[in-house]
Amino acid sequence: MPAVQETIEQVRKIDVDQYKYGFETLIEMDKAPPGLSEDIIRLISHKKDEPDWMLQWRLDAFRRWQTMTEPTWARVHYPEIDFQALSYYAAPKAQSGPKSLDEVDPELLATYEKLGIPLKEQEILAGVRKPGEKSELDEIGDNVYSSGRVAVDAVFDSVSVVTTFKKELAKAGVIFCSISEAIREHPELVQKYLGSVVPQSDNFYATLNSAVFTDGSFVYVPKGVRCPMELSTYFRINEKNTGQFERTLIIADEGAYVSYLEGCTAPQRDENQLHAAVVELVALEDAEIKYSTVQNWYPGDKDGKGGIYNFVTKRGDCRGANSKISWTQVETGSAITWKYPSCILRGDNSRGEFYSIAVSNGHQQIDSGTKMLHLGKNTTSRIISKGISAGNSNNTYRGQVSVHRKAENARNFTQCDSLLIGNDCGAHTVPYIEAKNASAKLEHEATTSKISEDQLFYVMQRGIPEEEAIALIVNGFVKEVIQELPMEFAVEAQKLIGISLEGSVG
Amino acid sequence: MNIQTPPKPTPAEQALIDGYGERFSRLAGNPDVVQARDLAFDRFRQSGLPTRRVEAWHYTDLRRLLSDVPAYNQEAMAEPVGELLEHSAIAIAANGQALQADDNIDGVTWRPLTELLADGSLASSLAPRDADDMIGALNASFVSGGWALDIEAGAEIDVPLEIQNVHGGGQVHTRFPVTVGAGAKAVIVERQTGQGAAFVTSLADVTLDEDATVDWIVLQEQPDTVSYLSSFSATLGRNARLRLFVMNAGGRLVREEVVVAVQGEGADFQLRTVNLLAGEGHTDLTMVLDHTVPSTTSTEVVRNVVTGKAKGVFQGRINVHQVAQKTDARMACNTLLMSDDADFSAKPELEIFADDVACGHGATVAEINHDHLFYLMARGISEKEARRLLVKAFVAEVIEELDDEALVEALEARLDGWFADNG
Repeated sequence: MPAVQETIEQVRKIDVDQYKYGFETLIEMDKAPPGLSEDIIRLISHKKDEPDWMLQWRLDAFRRWQTMTEPTWARVHYPEIDFQALSYYAAPKAQSGPKSLDEVDPELLATYEKLGIPLKEQEILAGVRKPGEKSELDEIGDNVYSSGRVAVDAVFDSVSVVTTFKKELAKAGVIFCSISEAIREHPELVQKYLGSVVPQSDNFYATLNSAVFTDGSFVYVPKGVRCPMELSTYFRINEKNTGQFERTLIIADEGAYVSYLEGCTAPQRDENQLHAAVVELVALEDAEIKYSTVQNWYPGDKDGKGGIYNFVTKRGDCRGANSKISWTQVETGSAITWKYPSCILRGDNSRGEFYSIAVSNGHQQIDSGTKMLHLGKNTTSRIISKGISAGNSNNTYRGQVSVHRKAENARNFTQCDSLLIGNDCGAHTVPYIEAKNASAKLEHEATTSKISEDQLFYVMQRGIPEEEAIALIVNGFVKEVIQELPMEFAVEAQKLIGISLEGSVG
Repeated sequence: MNIQTPPKPTPAEQALIDGYGERFSRLAGNPDVVQARDLAFDRFRQSGLPTRRVEAWHYTDLRRLLSDVPAYNQEAMAEPVGELLEHSAIAIAANGQALQADDNIDGVTWRPLTELLADGSLASSLAPRDADDMIGALNASFVSGGWALDIEAGAEIDVPLEIQNVHGGGQVHTRFPVTVGAGAKAVIVERQTGQGAAFVTSLADVTLDEDATVDWIVLQEQPDTVSYLSSFSATLGRNARLRLFVMNAGGRLVREEVVVAVQGEGADFQLRTVNLLAGEGHTDLTMVLDHTVPSTTSTEVVRNVVTGKAKGVFQGRINVHQVAQKTDARMACNTLLMSDDADFSAKPELEIFADDVACGHGATVAEINHDHLFYLMARGISEKEARRLLVKAFVAEVIEELDDEALVEALEARLDGWFADNG
């Protein structure tokens, strides 16, 4: 049924340049010279006023990194990256750590305004609401955030610019700050947990990150505390020829709960930019961490020029019994995505979840999935992955479920579905299923299809135009994942999917 | 960084290198064949045996697992085995040489492989498929014999054709090129067995012309002293139908590659596999299936029973090419893990470049359903017997699909034999 012939045509015609965050903010930046050496690492460490142990840790990683080679197993193709041509540090000048929005460069605020990220609450509190055009997302922000509140850490190139609601969080005992600040103010926590989930030597990009990471968020939720609000980080790469290397560390102590959201954008540029982040989650006994990402880095133009290389290592460690880590991701941006948010199910009865929507269009390449490593008894995991490919893109699900010898009664359910829109894209599924314990119950299913003629006909004959009908069906296809997102992100995610596929489906 | 000097050869690698040097002057073949052998062996010499770093060998680290390669054993006696199906026409290869064939069947021609080596007609097909094809490279280097089978166009062969590849230990490198003419029909049984410690590589290379229909049954029953590397490759013409049934019940180290190209519209490929894994064996079934034209179909069902300290692997990849619209491809891999020391790894991949397709795969790993066990035991059946029944039902389902009564019976008898030894 070459049903959606019209759609195919439209896919051909579409301009993927629907990216609305492609502006550049012209503010003065303090930028390190390009290149990577021990001196640069010392410079980064010095700029951040770090203690010596941190510098040594970085140098260890750097020395290790020099002996490593880039991985090539993922189904992504790109010209070799010249790591010496990148700049490893860029910060808005003279704004090394503003304490309130008043001190923030107005250009920067305007940027966030354009992005529609919810700093508004903070603006009102600080009395600095800036006039400006309202974007669609602003409206959503208004509606949603009037009820729920979100604390935000905004990272601009290499530094965390502002963190909101700190005081209120502190009342509950929750530490939410930039990782640089945490290194200075909570060294005992950072030393204990940093690198304990993603070791320095984990992989090429994680090791690079360990050497040069510049900022990111740090969250510590103490015993028995349910974090009173959603935490959120906003990442933006602005400067030219820089790599962004952020590092996030979230620790939920015994019985704690935290929900964390992450969003990202970058300006439209012809050259590719590198983003190599590391995220570590630690859930102790009875703790729960929910981590949601809406990834919308610049995907490149319609000819595949420019865009972000998103090479990210994300891993959660269910260290204590009955702990739970849940990853939800909506991946619509980036020229190349290489990302496998994983769960180490170490504690007995621990649970890992992975919900993913990956939408690729234009010349995007996505190789993403998860790893569920069952080590403890009665551990369970669930993987739902929905891939949508359009244009000339390639979308790969790569996931591993591994049940170790002693993981009695491990249980996994995996479902990965792919939807192809048009005939120049590819959808691939590469699961690795490994069982070493007889009591394991593992189920995996995958399907690849296109939008069914019947469904489309059914919707259209009720008077809904084709474009909308397809959008409706696609939204139905990804519903299981959207449901897992916190409300405010769910709305944004739905919009994003629409933008990504505009002209092809929605 | 891509050019790596191979590390010091392992004892097995060294034995192969030495063996090539010594054997070479005695291996059959015209200059073209000799050149093809050299090229193939260079492939091995450059990379060594594949390790788990090679994605296609991720779960079967051949460098580590192939611990030794026995020397050739000229004195070994290879015993032919009893036919699987009554009235079969049998072709026997013993210790790597074509021994004898029942060549009185109309439309069927058997030729010893040495003829094709001598006249050079095999030279072009000796080249390894790709960089991952170490089995092809090793076999091309060392192949000494086997049978070429040709089935005439339009011939409907009403007796089963049985290829026996038997050995009495040592090294065995055989090849079985098969062509099936347009509209021909045949049932072909391939037996792989022997005695004593051995290193066996065996290739079947099958071409089905349009409208040809073949049922191919592989019965691998090597003793647990054998390292067995095999490859079954097939190309399917328009409306051709190939049903491949593989039963693995033996071997210490087994890697079986099934490489099928569905190249004619309307063609259909079916794979059914029963892996009965016990002892300390390592068994790997790896399938690569290419749908290269529109409107083709395929279904694969792989059932594994793993007990003792056995390790099982299934890798299956379905490639749907961009023009292959309306492909319908399904793959299922179900495993019963019977022991805590056993393990199983599966990697069922889909690689899809056409949008109007229906493709899916499913994989499960589980132990015996306790409710089912309880149900049977509540009816006075002992636990052991109840387990046996359930496991048998799990694999028999696949066998029964063969809908040839004699074949089903013969295979179920093998199944019962395996349970008697390993249940």
